[in-house]
Amino acid sequence: MAWKIIGINLSGIVISCTLIAFLIFVVLPSFYLISYIFLRWDEVWYEVFANPITGDENWRQIIMILLFSFKLSLSAVAFDLVFGVPLAYVLARKKFPGKNLLEDLVTLPLVIPTSGFGFATLITWTSSSGLSRLFGSTRLLSMNTAIPLINVPFILFIVHVALTFPYLVRTVETKIQSIEETYEIASRTLGASSLTTFRKVLLPLSIPGIFSGSVLAFARSLGETGATIIVSGVSTTASIAIVRWASEFKLSTAAFMGSLLVLIAWIMILPVEIYVSKNRRSSWRHLHIPTNLSMKIIKFERFLSRKLSIVKDIVPLIIVVILIIIPVVVVISSVTLYWSADPYTGRVEGGVVYQLFGPSRYLDLILRATLTSVIVASISTYIATCISIPLSFIIERRRYGHVLRTMLKVPLIIPTSSLGLSVLLLWGASGLCLVNSGIWMIILTHIVFSVPVIVESIIAAYEGSGVQMYEETARTLGANAYSAIEAVSLPLIKGGIFTGFILSFTHSLGETGATLIVMGRDTTIPVLVVNMVEALAIPAALFTSTYLIVLSLVMLVIIRILTQG
Amino acid sequence: MPLVELVNVTKRFGKITALNRINLSVEDGEYLCILGPTGAGKTTLLRLIAGLLEPDEGEIYIDGRKVNKVPPEERNAVYMFQNYALFPHMNVWGNVSFGPIIKEWDQKRINDVTSEVLEMVRLGERKNAYPHELSGGMQQRVALARGIASGARILLLDEPFGALDARLRVNLRTQLKSLVKDQRLTAIHVTHDQEEALMVSDRIAILRGGRIEQVGSPQEIYTNPKSIFTISFVGGANFFEGVVSRVNKFGSEIELRGGLRIHVSDRSRNVGERVVVAVRREHISLGKSRRRGFNNLLGEIEDVMFVGGSMEYMIKLENDMTLFSRTLLKGSSTPLRRGEIVIISFHPGECRVFEYPRRGLLKEIEAI
Repeated sequence: MAWKIIGINLSGIVISCTLIAFLIFVVLPSFYLISYIFLRWDEVWYEVFANPITGDENWRQIIMILLFSFKLSLSAVAFDLVFGVPLAYVLARKKFPGKNLLEDLVTLPLVIPTSGFGFATLITWTSSSGLSRLFGSTRLLSMNTAIPLINVPFILFIVHVALTFPYLVRTVETKIQSIEETYEIASRTLGASSLTTFRKVLLPLSIPGIFSGSVLAFARSLGETGATIIVSGVSTTASIAIVRWASEFKLSTAAFMGSLLVLIAWIMILPVEIYVSKNRRSSWRHLHIPTNLSMKIIKFERFLSRKLSIVKDIVPLIIVVILIIIPVVVVISSVTLYWSADPYTGRVEGGVVYQLFGPSRYLDLILRATLTSVIVASISTYIATCISIPLSFIIERRRYGHVLRTMLKVPLIIPTSSLGLSVLLLWGASGLCLVNSGIWMIILTHIVFSVPVIVESIIAAYEGSGVQMYEETARTLGANAYSAIEAVSLPLIKGGIFTGFILSFTHSLGETGATLIVMGRDTTIPVLVVNMVEALAIPAALFTSTYLIVLSLVMLVIIRILTQG
Repeated sequence: MPLVELVNVTKRFGKITALNRINLSVEDGEYLCILGPTGAGKTTLLRLIAGLLEPDEGEIYIDGRKVNKVPPEERNAVYMFQNYALFPHMNVWGNVSFGPIIKEWDQKRINDVTSEVLEMVRLGERKNAYPHELSGGMQQRVALARGIASGARILLLDEPFGALDARLRVNLRTQLKSLVKDQRLTAIHVTHDQEEALMVSDRIAILRGGRIEQVGSPQEIYTNPKSIFTISFVGGANFFEGVVSRVNKFGSEIELRGGLRIHVSDRSRNVGERVVVAVRREHISLGKSRRRGFNNLLGEIEDVMFVGGSMEYMIKLENDMTLFSRTLLKGSSTPLRRGEIVIISFHPGECRVFEYPRRGLLKEIEAI
């Protein structure tokens, strides 16, 4: 019986240690950020609203920047919805050769370091070695060419679309997959055309998925930093503003903006969370359409279904090609173009080789940044995994688990620069004063968003493999609680743990926004790309971006293999 | 001394009482079936015995020892899920040796026990196969072998044939029972299939709405059901609603709707009492002439159904009541046809009389 007494204590210790680590590392920073505003309200008031020199200039800037960010994010999500939902449907329902490849391509922006991707897009559209080579002009677009009506720079818009697209597509795809195909078959055999079926059957059923996908995409767009900082030109988004203010030591203004973003994210997400969790089927009932009009719509849809069935398959595909494949190809081809010398001026100084090995010694920087990135990614992912495994078990088995799971959504939806700022404020000189900016603070920051990523992956594996049943069987066969977990549960969810590990490792390798704020003098590779672009060392940036993209492609292949095997 | 004993066991989930003051004892070596409709609390009962749940009230004893707080691994009771829960990441050998290894027996004993048990279930040659490579029947044998190898004395079977097709199910029933009996195991088997329960068990406990309705041998349950629910759930019957109009030394007379009267041997009811009379389908015979000493009623054949070796007739009585009769199909006899007028006769001794249920007859028969 002795082990039992120890056993009970042991499980108590494991649970409390996990929960404490979770609260301190993951939850505390974002709460601290908001409380910072209240604790130091005087400072915030002074800096934002009542500066003796500039008055409330900062406040007016905040409003302007927020409005711009909202416009950008909303238009990106709107675009995602129009083209992402059909693509999600195609991916969820159709089987065709190359489907896996298409799925990987859509997921690529999730894996690819955003600063590298942003740079690739920039090169593609605005430089002479990009798409303009096809059309013969020297430059297709300028960095600030705006889209009419919404007045958002084109480059910024397409980067945000590409980076948010996977969130919407994958969420809706999963939702559609969970809806039985029988409903659609029933509707079709009852005489509805495919478009009518989609509108009247599939769409109402997948509304929760579309909602949560849009919210994720919106939050992602609002918080995007790495690519935005490269392509934004003169425009400023909210997350970039935070980075800039933090680097100018305007901590109070940055914190104020950061907590505004956190609050806005929450205000947008909570209703959707509640709506989705109530699992209501449809909110369209109040939408009354007169019968003769709806007859016309149905007739029109029947006509369209016949004519346009290919369009719905092809258009999203073209968008994927334009937004994702072309930039990747262009950046890789540009490296070869710029390899030995600048192709236009013929100067050796403008070549990749010279910049890497020449007097500026960018190779050294790249190698050092790689080392930093790998160390950060390894340590933060390792610690996050250690917290995540017991945390996932607690979430699955304890009654308060769903509360923990909702708390885990915080780091996923708040802008990364706010997240970095919160870690800086909590652990840094103005907070607990335990850690200085630098590699250790980067690690602390990366733990925050790694835990949710790994936990989600483990929970998916846990719920998909019927762990509880196997574990109970093991118990009745004579295994105690710990050996049952060791011999049965852990091997069963092994795949989920590995996938989570790789995902979080990749995420950590590519993170820019938060890292920029907390890095101090240490640099990771994505930040290095930003620095190179700012220093106008384009060939070096090309090389580093390619290097990052190749690295993330390798990761993607590993994920593919793991999730299939 | 019984091997497993439940005394006044109650289990609630929130506001729902899943099991209400259950008393049940299972003897060593017995094969007990717990039979009941979906939602009766069968699985909860099994999980309580396994130790996967803890009762809110009452005591559970295994081998005379109170086990309310004892964890599942110390109860020697192995739980078999409907799909057997063979560990997908281990092969047959790994699954069967799981118990011995976890109990840290020495290597020689682990090997001996595992191979012996595998031989017993005739799976020695498939020891390197993984669960998904085995047929449903083989998987069940591996699950059994795994339980036996772990030294379990009690098998807790949760719908063990649920995942199999009908033909295989019948074959495996006998196989399972003989294995259990050969190994002198005690089995508690949960099912909603009355035919299965009647066939394999030594005793049956009828569970309904968290209460035990009746415990007894299969014959006892079938021939002497204690409640309307039991008779309708096990075997099924025709029910007549009526009022006792006369009681004498030979039996009682019941007046049905529309003035029809039937005689029953039961004399325990009082005149004027509202009752339900149940008659099994196979006890109702159809013919052209009245039979002495029987109840004889006139009816018209509404429908004829062929069910394998017998015919089932749906008959409408004079008072618009519908009856079912089942007769064995004998070589030369020609089945009756729709629309024929027949005389329905059944013996007063085959009639079982129950008090009219407070909730109404339909509610009582409902399988909840």
